[in-house]
Amino acid sequence: MQTPRATGGRAPDVFTPGGWVPMREYDESEEVDFVIVGTGAGGGTLACKLAEAGFSVVAMDAGPFWRPLEDFASDEAEQSKLFWTDDRLVDGENPLQLGSNNSGKSVGGSTVHFAMVSLRFRPEWFKSRSKLGYGFDWPLDWREMWSYYREVEEALAISGPVNYPWGPPRPRYPYRAHKLNAAALALAEGCEAMGIPWTETPIATLSAPRGRARPCVYRGFCVLGCSTNAKQSALVTWIPRAIAAGAEIRDLAMVGRVEVDGRDRATGVHYHRGGEWRFQRARNVVVAGYAIETPRLLLNSANSRFPEGLANRSGLVGKYLTVQSNQAVWGISGKEIRSYKSPPSLALTEHWNYQDEGKDFHGGYCYMSQGPEPQLWANTQLASRGLWGEALIAEMQNYNHQVGLKMVGEMLPQERNAVTLADETDQYGLPIPRVTYSWCDNDRAMIGHALDFMGQALRATDARDIWKQTDDTCHLNGGARMGDDPQTSVVDADCRSWDIPNLWICDGSVFPTVGGVNPSLTIQAMACRTGDRIAAMARRGEL
Amino acid sequence: MRGRNAAIAVSGLFAAAVLGGLAARSNRPAPIRQPPREQAARQLDLGAATLAGSVLFDSAVEHYRGSFEHRGMYVPLAVASATIAASLSGARQPNRMRTGVHVLAMLTGVAGLGFHIYDISKRPGGWSWQNLFYAAPVGAPGALSLAGLTGLAGQQLRTGQVRPDSQSGRALAALAAIGILGDVAEVWLLHFRGAFHNPAMVLPVTIPPVASLCLAGVAAGAGRPSLRTTRGWLWATAATGLAGVGFHAWGVHRMMGGWRNWSQNLLEGPPLPAPPSYTGLALAGLAATRLMEEAHE
Ligand SMILES: Cc1cc2nc3c(=O)[nH]c(=O)nc-3n(C[C@H](O)[C@H](O)[C@H](O)COP(=O)(O)OP(=O)(O)OC[C@H]3O[C@@H](n4cnc5c(N)ncnc54)[C@H](O)[C@@H]3O)c2cc1C
Ligand code: SF4
Repeated sequence: MQTPRATGGRAPDVFTPGGWVPMREYDESEEVDFVIVGTGAGGGTLACKLAEAGFSVVAMDAGPFWRPLEDFASDEAEQSKLFWTDDRLVDGENPLQLGSNNSGKSVGGSTVHFAMVSLRFRPEWFKSRSKLGYGFDWPLDWREMWSYYREVEEALAISGPVNYPWGPPRPRYPYRAHKLNAAALALAEGCEAMGIPWTETPIATLSAPRGRARPCVYRGFCVLGCSTNAKQSALVTWIPRAIAAGAEIRDLAMVGRVEVDGRDRATGVHYHRGGEWRFQRARNVVVAGYAIETPRLLLNSANSRFPEGLANRSGLVGKYLTVQSNQAVWGISGKEIRSYKSPPSLALTEHWNYQDEGKDFHGGYCYMSQGPEPQLWANTQLASRGLWGEALIAEMQNYNHQVGLKMVGEMLPQERNAVTLADETDQYGLPIPRVTYSWCDNDRAMIGHALDFMGQALRATDARDIWKQTDDTCHLNGGARMGDDPQTSVVDADCRSWDIPNLWICDGSVFPTVGGVNPSLTIQAMACRTGDRIAAMARRGEL
Repeated sequence: MRGRNAAIAVSGLFAAAVLGGLAARSNRPAPIRQPPREQAARQLDLGAATLAGSVLFDSAVEHYRGSFEHRGMYVPLAVASATIAASLSGARQPNRMRTGVHVLAMLTGVAGLGFHIYDISKRPGGWSWQNLFYAAPVGAPGALSLAGLTGLAGQQLRTGQVRPDSQSGRALAALAAIGILGDVAEVWLLHFRGAFHNPAMVLPVTIPPVASLCLAGVAAGAGRPSLRTTRGWLWATAATGLAGVGFHAWGVHRMMGGWRNWSQNLLEGPPLPAPPSYTGLALAGLAATRLMEEAHE
């Protein structure tokens, strides 16, 4: 899509094919309270919270504003339109594979094609340095975060188990768990054989109708965009709420630079929309472009007062980028599994997140059932096993019987893992990011443990021909981490940058550590907290 | 279109059972003024037929969804149809065949219960919420047993094998009370699975329990609540059962594709035929109050 849709006082209605909803619009010369760069888990949530608190908000996204009911096809190639595939350079000892598995470009951000797994952090992870002896402490208290988790779980009507087996007691999930598919049952069988608990995954897709959204139809196309709106992405939850509360969404609006004046205050953003560069004035700027684009934008916005990039007096912008290990074991079941049916990860175990004994590494991991679509599966066979031609065709015959377990593991934050600027430029003429990544010994030890354990669990089912997929990673975090000390962090607990008081960063890039669970629930909880904190500060005249 | 053919087949079965039963009945001239015993018997007939109708359609939908994996899954369809015909044919003479059908319905229900319990216990997780929600429903076959029992009661009342006294009224009240309570448990489970997302989903777990309590009072011979109050709650329960079909039709509309996609959404959405089981049981309860009244008079 090339032409912006959210213009002329209206925005696409995600719940009606061809439909529109009225949308407030702001003049570029008007100094809005907040301009937000990015409308994903962080930016979309914050736009809603701020608009509902009465602030004037313009939220921009480089990606298009979809109507899932009419724009999403059951076709893997077509749906790659959801991914951020602009040029990026990768290097380091373990270069990341960027694109489908880690970044989106749409109104709604990566949540439009995320896998919906919605887990809470283990409480100790917010203080992993002092409590567990590795990584860094967050400047946030877990109890406060747990109340914000609740707010997000309700906003997304998370479907989850009646009782969650790990961690302190939590309130019941708003909706009940979905029916398990055969891939999830295989996970359950493996866990029972290994003597560890498992549970239905708390997941952001509806198990019953809700408002104008229909319940899940178990078609399993989730990571390529859900065409029924059962998936509770930011696009169908926070964004409609934000618009109803008076926020303006500007789609296909790529922000190239944040402007900062001589008094070290942000004054607005330069953005590219409709074929030209434009400028929106604002009293506050929030950057929420995710762990690569956020540091890139801050670095690209360098000026004479901030020659190393905005909010970078600590020198940490772009540093401590941390992904999660996403290795898997796969096998072939005697039974028909058809793992592509239903959301991919309906069952999981967090055993190794909460069990500290018997580990030769720091941190934790969970693992869950899987359901790759055929094209992705063929790619995996090619990339991980080098299968091609006859061999690939023969292997694809087993597609309906393949079954797998995949980890989401905590990698340790390292300063050398970083986003920097390359000399090359992109279609807007902006320097592109260079993403450097290397695993550490701890990362390798955890991956080894997980692959062994998952292999045993899979072997305990009827799966045979078991093999290990050793290279995958997922979920980008860090790059502008939060902390208590301006010397060692980029933002404070309220996501406010230490150096420029009206510049905020609210997305996955503020994570000091990543924990062993998927990040989106934590990003959204943090955005809810930030929204409440900003409203409280405004009331006290502290903005 | 397999879905359409199956739907036509089951509707045909239902129509044949109803027409067959009524044809057998219409051989006799209807009495001009019915004594309460006759009224009670008719209510029991109707209650049994309603219950069996609910079972026929519900098991048809659910077992079709389960692809009739084994032959036993056809049995409730056949037995429920026979029960409808037997209950509606209501005659004065004792009849071996009718008794046989009702006893068969009772036994089929018990066997179904056994199969469903076995189905749950063999799944990973065993007696977990997951399996209670999504495996074969534990309580559902019980409705067929209740249909058989209700039909039998109606028949015996009419043939004079059972006297229309307060003792049989109390026994019947107890049966209806327990039946309604079982139904409430099943409905609660499934509406909990749906997270009570629509406020109307609370109705069938609040009104019928009151009716069940009233019936329990009647069965205990406590003299309280009054038969009038009990009847009020029973009528409300019967209405809840009928309104439930409407609510479930609304629920089907809220699935992806709504009614245009009926062949999928009738299977995946809330079950249309389930709620009238309340109506059937409420009719049995009403028959009980009739008998009590006659005894008083
Ligand atoms: C395939 C896949 C599966 C996933 N599965 C899960 C899961 O099951 N559970 C889970 O918790 N997490 C999952 N994630 C991760 C989760 O989606 C992300 O962690 C989360 O969305 C990140 O939120 P964010 O706000 O930081 O960034 P995003 O949600 O990515 O939003 C950033 C937005 O900013 C826009 N943007 C960036 N730069 C600019 C700019 N300069 N100008 C304008 N706009 C800009 C982008 O277009 C994008 O829309 C998954 C991710 C992917 C890709
Ligand atoms: S399986 Fe459910 S959540 Fe996934 S794409 Fe289909 S309807 Fe959406």
